[in-house]
Amino acid sequence: MNKILIIEDEISICLELAELLENEGYEADYLKSFENALEDILNANADLLLLDINIPRMNGEMLLREIRKKSDVPVIMVTSRTGEVDEVLCMSYGADDYITKPYNPTILLLRIAAILKRMSGNNNTASYRDAQVNFSKGTICKGDKELVLTKNEMIIFQILLNNQNRIVTRDELMTNLWDNDEFVNDNALTVNISRLRGKLAEFGYIDAIETRKKQGYCLI
Amino acid sequence: MKFGKYLKDKWVTLTSFGTFMLLTSVLLWLFHSSMELLVMYSVLAVLFLLIDFGWDYFKRKKYYDKLLNNLEQLDKKYLVLETVNEPDFYEGKLNSQIIYEINKSMAENVKQYEKNVLDFKEYIEMWVHEVKLPISSLLLMCHNNKGNLEKKYIKQIKRLDNYTEQVLYYVRSEHAEKDYCIKEVPLKKVVRDVAIKNKDDLLEQEIDFIVDEMEYIVSTDYKWLVFILNQIISNSMKYKRKDVTSSIHLWEEEIGNRILLHIRDNGIGIPEQDLPKVFEKSFTGENGRKHAKSTGMGLYIVKSLCDRLGHGILIKSVEGEYTEVSLVFAKNDFYKM
Repeated sequence: MNKILIIEDEISICLELAELLENEGYEADYLKSFENALEDILNANADLLLLDINIPRMNGEMLLREIRKKSDVPVIMVTSRTGEVDEVLCMSYGADDYITKPYNPTILLLRIAAILKRMSGNNNTASYRDAQVNFSKGTICKGDKELVLTKNEMIIFQILLNNQNRIVTRDELMTNLWDNDEFVNDNALTVNISRLRGKLAEFGYIDAIETRKKQGYCLI
Repeated sequence: MKFGKYLKDKWVTLTSFGTFMLLTSVLLWLFHSSMELLVMYSVLAVLFLLIDFGWDYFKRKKYYDKLLNNLEQLDKKYLVLETVNEPDFYEGKLNSQIIYEINKSMAENVKQYEKNVLDFKEYIEMWVHEVKLPISSLLLMCHNNKGNLEKKYIKQIKRLDNYTEQVLYYVRSEHAEKDYCIKEVPLKKVVRDVAIKNKDDLLEQEIDFIVDEMEYIVSTDYKWLVFILNQIISNSMKYKRKDVTSSIHLWEEEIGNRILLHIRDNGIGIPEQDLPKVFEKSFTGENGRKHAKSTGMGLYIVKSLCDRLGHGILIKSVEGEYTEVSLVFAKNDFYKM
């Protein structure tokens, strides 16, 4: 389980962020005091940091520079400032991504997942039951049989696979598609899911995607 | 400076000179002096009067004409004193001293207002950033407590966010400070961000969001452009028609050394007589009156931000059919993908 450390002085945001991350299956913790921020952060052994720019004592950019001297842990900067200059600065100090408050929680989770995935190295292939999935080619292979998915179908399948045996809401699927410049509407999403189901069924995986009424979908 | 008016001003001198001449002539006549002496005396007296008047008149004319002429040509009239030399006559010296003092006092006054406005601007910016914290908290809370009410709440919170953002950019557009940073920005990324921001509303209102393949990179401030596009799309969502399937279509176009981003909806459109005025401050027009939701600020802010970034903005519309807004960017070949 990946551990995410939240560095943010607004306590209500800390708590809600922690809950959000825990619901998503991460281990979440937040910094309780900023007295020895740098040491506490390094000792926490987190897999990823969510770092706010406006924090007491030291600003986030300075803190990031100090962290970078000692550690390569991935950092996402979070801020309510809307100046573009901050972004340039953060990136040059070594932040991996940058997100502005108030953020869309689904997008934040997407960014976190993307970075953690990049860190783990293998982000192009995965396995599903007895088949090999190749995300960039958009194919699922079993033995010498190959199933070709369209871009939208692959995006949907990838999210379901990343959350296998867990419920994925329609909203999450939608946000993911839109984040990939596929601005589909509700009908199109339904059509894409039923096509994906059909293709998987033909391939031998009958009832792979279950519909959970009023909640979403679940890949078995 | 006109000679006639100058003479009119000098009527006391002229009348007393006239009376003096008359009296001395009568005196001379009474003492039986010769006619020649009388004439010579008069000619000399008038001659010296003319020299004095001429000298005085041309000295003043030179100074005041230059002052008036410069005043007319200057853009910033309060700087006129700097463009003329200090006059060498007492009255002129007094005048320029007075103008100088008035200028100085007004400059101080203006400075005070400038400071007040700047303080206010800083306060508003800080306030907007502060208010974003509870907004962020609320959004996260809604997300964490998924229930049937979730969307409804999120929608209202997003409205709050949009309105506070509008305040921030209004403050920025009004003040000539460099809050922006020009970088190469792919239009695709801007469109994607704005789309996701408005995703829930677009889906709920069943508006088709159609985006053609995007490839151009433009030089702009990323966040400002997101705000601009967001305002345009908000308008399209606000003024949609009920009798058709609503759609918003975005595409790029290259014309000469310009790149255009078109945003076209099939909404209620804008009446022809209102079209030239939509970018004016506080202009609401017929649509604003009918919908009663318009502040008349959205497009005004968009226009002033575009002006500051050096982008063009065009608007076309046929009432009851469509509205098409086009943003015009300068093309830079280096940045083309």
